[in-house]
Formats: sequence, structure tokens, C-alpha cells
Amino acid sequence: MLIELSGVSKIYNQGRANEVRALTGIDLGVEQGSMVCLKGPSGSGKSTLLAIIGCIFPPTSGKAAIAGRQLARLPDRFLTLHRRETIGFIFQRFNILPELTVLENITLPLLPLGVPPKERKQRAQELLERFAITHRAQFPAGQISGGELQRVAIARALINNQPIILADEPTAHLDTALSREFMEIMQQLKAGGKTIVIASHDPLVFEHPAIERTVTIKDGRIHVS
Amino acid sequence: MAPRNLEKQLNILDYALSSLWRRRMKSLSVLLVFAAVIFLLASFQMVTQALTDKASQVLAYTPEITLQKMSAGRQEAIPLAYRDRLAGIFGIRRVVPRIWGYYFDEVRLANYTVMGMDVREMPEGDRLDTALAKGTIPGPEEQGRVVVGQSIVKALNLDERNTFSLFRPDLSLKTFTVSGAFSRDTDIMTNDLIVMSLADARDLYEIPAGLVTDLCVYVANPKEIGTIARKISAILPGVRVLTRPQIQKTYQVVFGWRSGFGSICLLAALASFVILAWDKASGLSPEERREISILKVLGWETSDILAVRFWESVIVSGLACIVGMTAAYIHVVYFAAFLFRPVLMGWSVLRPDLHLVPRMAVGNILLILAFTVVPYLAATVIPAWRSATVPADSALGG
Amino acid sequence: MFLNPWSLALTLCSLVVLVLGAVAAKTAVRVLRFWEPGSDSNRQIRLENEIWLSSTLVAYGLGFQIMTLILFMLAADQFCKVIVGAMCATGALLANPFGMPALLVKLVGVFFYGFWILLHQLDIRSEHYPLVRIKYLALLLLLPLLVLDATLQTLYIAGIKPDIITSCCAVVFSDTPGSTTNLMTGFSQQGLLIAFIGSIIGLTVLGWTLLRRWQAWLADLYAAGWLWFFVLSLVMITNVISSYVYAMPYHKCPFCILKPEYHYFGFALYGALIPAAFFGASAALAGLVRGKAGLGGVVDRYQRLAVKVSLILLVIFSALSFYHYLKYLISGGEG
Repeated sequence: MLIELSGVSKIYNQGRANEVRALTGIDLGVEQGSMVCLKGPSGSGKSTLLAIIGCIFPPTSGKAAIAGRQLARLPDRFLTLHRRETIGFIFQRFNILPELTVLENITLPLLPLGVPPKERKQRAQELLERFAITHRAQFPAGQISGGELQRVAIARALINNQPIILADEPTAHLDTALSREFMEIMQQLKAGGKTIVIASHDPLVFEHPAIERTVTIKDGRIHVS
Repeated sequence: MAPRNLEKQLNILDYALSSLWRRRMKSLSVLLVFAAVIFLLASFQMVTQALTDKASQVLAYTPEITLQKMSAGRQEAIPLAYRDRLAGIFGIRRVVPRIWGYYFDEVRLANYTVMGMDVREMPEGDRLDTALAKGTIPGPEEQGRVVVGQSIVKALNLDERNTFSLFRPDLSLKTFTVSGAFSRDTDIMTNDLIVMSLADARDLYEIPAGLVTDLCVYVANPKEIGTIARKISAILPGVRVLTRPQIQKTYQVVFGWRSGFGSICLLAALASFVILAWDKASGLSPEERREISILKVLGWETSDILAVRFWESVIVSGLACIVGMTAAYIHVVYFAAFLFRPVLMGWSVLRPDLHLVPRMAVGNILLILAFTVVPYLAATVIPAWRSATVPADSALGG
Repeated sequence: MFLNPWSLALTLCSLVVLVLGAVAAKTAVRVLRFWEPGSDSNRQIRLENEIWLSSTLVAYGLGFQIMTLILFMLAADQFCKVIVGAMCATGALLANPFGMPALLVKLVGVFFYGFWILLHQLDIRSEHYPLVRIKYLALLLLLPLLVLDATLQTLYIAGIKPDIITSCCAVVFSDTPGSTTNLMTGFSQQGLLIAFIGSIIGLTVLGWTLLRRWQAWLADLYAAGWLWFFVLSLVMITNVISSYVYAMPYHKCPFCILKPEYHYFGFALYGALIPAAFFGASAALAGLVRGKAGLGGVVDRYQRLAVKVSLILLVIFSALSFYHYLKYLISGGEG
């Protein structure tokens, strides 16, 4: 199992008046090379679960092992070090920095790894070619089309060759054609051996044939239907 | 990944540069204000330092003790015979008579300083030759030969001719031949100076034989100046005894007070800049928050963001220093520090055409850095940390 | 004498460092009281963030400390112009009893900051943060040192009165018999030179042996050797090296070599010696925390690196030290 959660709970502001119980007793296992959809309305705890899988913060209790590493009791710094080696993120609205060029955006995760500029360019080049956006490399990311933006976001999630791809509501602001394109690319990546977790309540996503399993989250628990 | 630390810092530096460039209006405004503060501080520092240097050059040639006769609280000529009364004091190296006065040139409406002295008699007299741009210092037997400063050369047009005349008090003319000119480097003390032999000066001012304006006492051991000065005033009660340390202290008090006071005024400017810097650095816009949280999700550590902010501060302050100090140097050297005229005026040696050349030693640069960059870095460190600790999860949508 | 740009700069730097130190100390207190490894409460998350604040503050502190150390020596060199009888920084520093202690405390401060940063760097290599308590206790000790530093410096500046007659370095460090204020008497040049060369050889051999086969007691010996060598080198610079730099047998002063007249030679000399001593001594210091969870490998790697760096700096320092001496011997007396 590449992702293994057992009895995971997350409580925000524990012991305070504004305490929020976001997740309770989540058990979830994801095999390497599989594609899973986390489904649920906003506020269901879906994003919190994605953040735990994405090593953004540790669970309050329970065990979470991502790519063979226990997250509980891990300080923030080590979560970050683990995250950048294992997780590629695709954000809602893609979170591309509009003033940076496409190339700079794609290579952002390589800067703190100390990858020199030449090697960065070389690595990005392969992905730019793969997603047919080479001609856009030097454009400011704010000036390219929605479809290109989506491919830039995916390229950025792949640049450090991380085994896991996490996508947070990737199709929420896309039209149908682009959403389909997104899922096609995901399917290709899965075929290439990546493990993919997508949080979405878009039927285009969770009804996609490449999705092996859909996990429904409701009120912080896994809802068995 | 430890061996790639250097590359990582270079990458981060690169990112900091591009990040400053993206916010160029904001960066530039901070840079310019900072450069202006550094410019003021550096100019001030350079002016006072150059003046101190000049003053110590002047002092290097002043005798350890100068004796002047006072009558009714005013200076008058001192008899040469007083020399003999000092003979008994142990530790005096030499006593040299001097006629020191001013000459008002009614034609050109200029004031010259006249020094009549047998320069060769001064213990350091030979060194004066090095202060000359050309020619030699006249010996005591060479009648009518003088060495002049640069502004005299200009005023009397001595580039083309080498003789000129001055009026005696009875309006008869005395003619001089120029045997040498002082170099520009010593302008502070030689600019309006005419050096001639004692006999010539006596002739020019019609001072009776046996009298001079003052006596210069040279002392073998500087530590004995005080003791010898006390002994002299015991022997010659009606004489004013001026010691070099006294003059030096007067210089230092004037400089210390002026430059300290000036620095404090400038520190106020610095303080307001630091407040501005804090304000600029701590106002975290939603875009910046978003950028930082994205970077963090993408694997940037808190310390990496701190490093970006550190490099930004270093680049801004480094550029501001280069701009500010260069501007200050130009201001002081080529514009004779015109901004500080009102503050430094009244300092008698500062003349309109004074040429100041500050030394740019490591120490002076460090001093300016301590005044400017240290407070700036300190003011930006806490805002930088605040921005670096924006949590990663704020980049995730609902 | 506060109304002087140098005094003002030093005072300003001290104030800045004190403010930063106070903020860091506040963090230290909070960490010591509330640190709960493994908790994901908001407070713990804030404390984890504050670790970065305090380490950044200490890193800045180190930078500022090195700067004020240099500034202090240069300021002393400026002060000597207004103090009758003082002809260089030594005289100015001896003008009142606070000068030399202030300088020493500043030097100690540099080492202290350096060791703290080392502790921090080792600590964050282990996911247990095993040194948090030690680190923040040490940080609390830093505050009194900062206060002491600022106090001594202020007393020194306040005590500078332009009319006090002080001894200049020609008197203080000269070997004229009977001079009572000589700081470093009783060292024969010959003996010093032999001890110096012997120590260099000894340290090199020790370091070499350590790199080939690591042994804890040898590392301790190496660190102790560096402390000895540091003090010896200061004496050596004062008594022997400096007079060759000045090419004047009776001018023995460890500060004048910092001046532009001598091509800032002192900066290179001290710039090699101080980090060398730091790395040499830190090898043993790092060994002390080796047993902590998750630090074994990190400490091993650091120790080897430290020994290597200190050996390289030792070579540079020795070359610099003997440069003027050999030049003097070869050119036959006239440097």
C-alpha cells in the first residue's frame, strides 16, 4: 500500500471553544498505480483528508503512512521534506503564479532541491514537449489559455517525478471538454504507474472509467453506500 | 540533499531577484528612500572624516607650544629676547620665532595669510618640501622669495609671471619673487598662505627688530608638553601659552559635537525609514500569502522562504548602499558637500573652494553599514518570519 | 564619549542585538514551557514556527556580532586619536578597565552564537528535534551575555575621556625590561616559535589520525588542542607575527594589522584563525550530543567535515603567519 490510513482523526483547535472535528476514524488504503476519487460536498472533510494524504499536516490521532513513512508526530519540516519527494499537487484553479513564466512555474518545486538552472530547464523541457506547450515556455503564465494552464499545473506536479498525484477539485472551474482532457491525462499517468487521488464531486470525474474506487466522505467519516 | 546547499542558495537568490523584479515599484520605492538615507549619512560621515583628516594634517605642522604676548587682553608682538629666558627649561628642543599675520589686498578684496618663519629651523621643516607642487622653500638668506598657496596663484595670476608686490603700511611697494607653490593636497592650510623669510615679513609689516608675533616651542617628548607649558607660564606670566593638545581638543570638541549632533539628526531620518521598511515588509497582501502557501505546498520549507526574504533585504540594502555611497562621494568630492554647508559653516577652515577628498577605508564603509543595513535587516526580520509561516494548507480550496 | 559616529554605531548595533535577543529569549521561554512533541495543537504549530524565528534571529545576531567585533576594534583605533598618549587601538582599549573585557566578551559571543547555530543545525536534522531543550536553555544563557556585552561596551565608551593619558601598544606589548604595563611578558620569541610550530604539527597529525580512524577521546584532545592553539596564536600574533608585518621590532600590536596600511592583513589572519578554532573545538562539542535520537549519523558526518575544514584553515593560517617572517628571512632583514 502506498497510502495507508487507519483510524485517522483530525480535530482543529483542540481543547478550545472553536474546536472542530473534521475527520473521525478514517481507514483508507490506496495501492500503487491505482486511481481513487474522494467524493463529498464541501465541508465534508474531503480537503482535510487530502491534506493529510498530501503530508501538509499530520493527523491528530490514528496512523497515516504515506509512501512507507508514518506521518504522526512528524514536525512540519519533515512533512515538507517528505512531501516534496512523494506528492505532486494539482490545486483547485491550479494556483499558477501568473507573473512567472510557464517554465518558472513548472520548475518551482525544484528550486529548494538545489537543482541547477540547466538541469531544471532540461527536466521541464521533457514535460513541455509531452504536453505540447513548449512554445509557451517563456510566456507569463497569466497570459495563456485555460487548457494550457491545466497542462502547466499537471507538468508542475510531475517535475520531481513524485509517485503520488493529488488533485483538489481540479475540474470545478473547467468546461466539459477541458475536464475530459484532464481525466485523459490522469488516465495516461496512471498507466505510467502513478498513484492518483482526486477530490471531486464532479460526475465527470467520479464516473470516469479509469477511477477504480470512489470514497464518499460525509461529516468527516467514510460513508459506505 | 545536503551537498546541494550552495545550488539551493543560488536558486533562492535567483528567485528573490525575480520576486523583487515582479514587485519593482514597491522595491524601487524602498530602495530609493533607503539610498537617500544612506546618502545623507554617508555624506555627513565623509565630510567630517575628510575635515578631521585635514585638521590633523594642519596639526602635524603646528608647534607643540605657541607663545603669544598678551596686553589688555589682546595679542601684541613678543620680544625675541623671551627666547633666552626659556633656555633653562629642560625638554625644549627648539624655539622658533614667527611672524604670522593677515594681509588684506584692497585691489582684489582678498585676505591672505602671511607666515614669516625660517622654515628650515622647524624640526619637521624639511617635510614641507613634499607639500610643494613645484619649486623650493626659500632659505633665510634669500631675500624677497616666497612660496604661495593655490588660491594666491589664481588671485595674483602667478601662472604667467612670477613676481608680485604688496604694500607696506606706509604704502610703499615690496616686491616678491615666487620660488614655489603648494600643492592642492594641502589646500586646507596653504590655500591662502604666503610663506617668506622672517626678515621679509618684518619688512612687509614694519615690525621693529627684536619683535615677532609669536614664538613656536618644539618639545622633544610629547608627554612633557603639559609640564613644559606650566613651566613657561611660570617664567613668563604675561604670555599666552597654547599647547597642541589644547588646540587638538578644541578641534575634536567642535568636530565631535557637530558630527555627533548631525548623526543624531540623521538617525531620526533613519528611524522613520526603518518604520517605513517594517510597514512595507509586514503588510502581507493576499497575493503574497497565496504565493507563499503555494510554494510551501510545493515543498519549500519555512527556512527557504526566510532565505528568500533575507536575500531580498540584502539585495535592496546592498543596492541602496552602492547608490547612496556613490552619490555621497560625488556630492562631497565634486559638489563640495553643498547640502551640509549650513551645518558645517562657521567651521573657520572650510572655505568656499575647499576640495575635500574622503578616504574610503573598509572601516568607514562598515560604519555606514552599521548605521543603515543593520537596522534595516533587523526591521525586516520579524515581518519576514511572519510571512514565511503562512500555513501551507491555505493554498487548498474549501 | 557618546557623541561620536563610532560610539553611536556601536550603541545602535548593541540596541538592535538586544531587541533581537529579547525576542529570541521570549521564544525560548515559550518553547521551554509549552513544547509538546507530537501534539498538533495550534500552540505546538506556533512553537514549531517560532523555532525558525529564533534560529533566524541568532543567525542575524552572529552576523551583527562579527560586525560589531570588527567595528569595536576599528572604533578603538579611532578613539586613540583623541586620547593623549594612545597611538593605536591597544592604547585606546586600555584607556579604561572595560575596553579589553568588552572585546573578549564580543569574541566569546561570536563562538557562542556559532555553537548555538551548530546545535540548531544538528537538531533540525532529526525528526525528533532532540536538542530543543538544550538549545533553548542555551539561548536563555545568551541573553545575559548580550547584556554583559552591551554593558561593558557602554561603560567603555562612557569612560573614554579625551584627556586621560594611556599607554600605547609600544609600551604595552614591548619587551623592554621594567615596563610595568606589559600585557605579555615572559615569552621568549624562540620558545614561542617552537611551541607554535610544534602545535601546528601536533594538530595536523591529530586531525589526520582522526580522519583515518575516529576515536572519541582523540576528538576531545583535538578540540582541547585547538583551544590551546587559539590562545597561543593570539600571543604569537601579538609578540612575533605582528612585528614582522610592521617590519618594526618594537611595534607589537594585534590590532594595527587590521588597518589598511598593512593591506588588511589582520582580517585574513583572524579570518582563518577564528573559524579554524571554532570548527576544531566544535568537533568535540558535536560529539556530546551524539547519543540523542536520530543524531548519530548526522554528528559523525559533521565531525569529519569540521575536522577537515579546521585542517584546511590551519594550513591557510600557518601560511599567512609565516609569510612575513619568511619574507623577512629571505630578503635579509628589510621587509
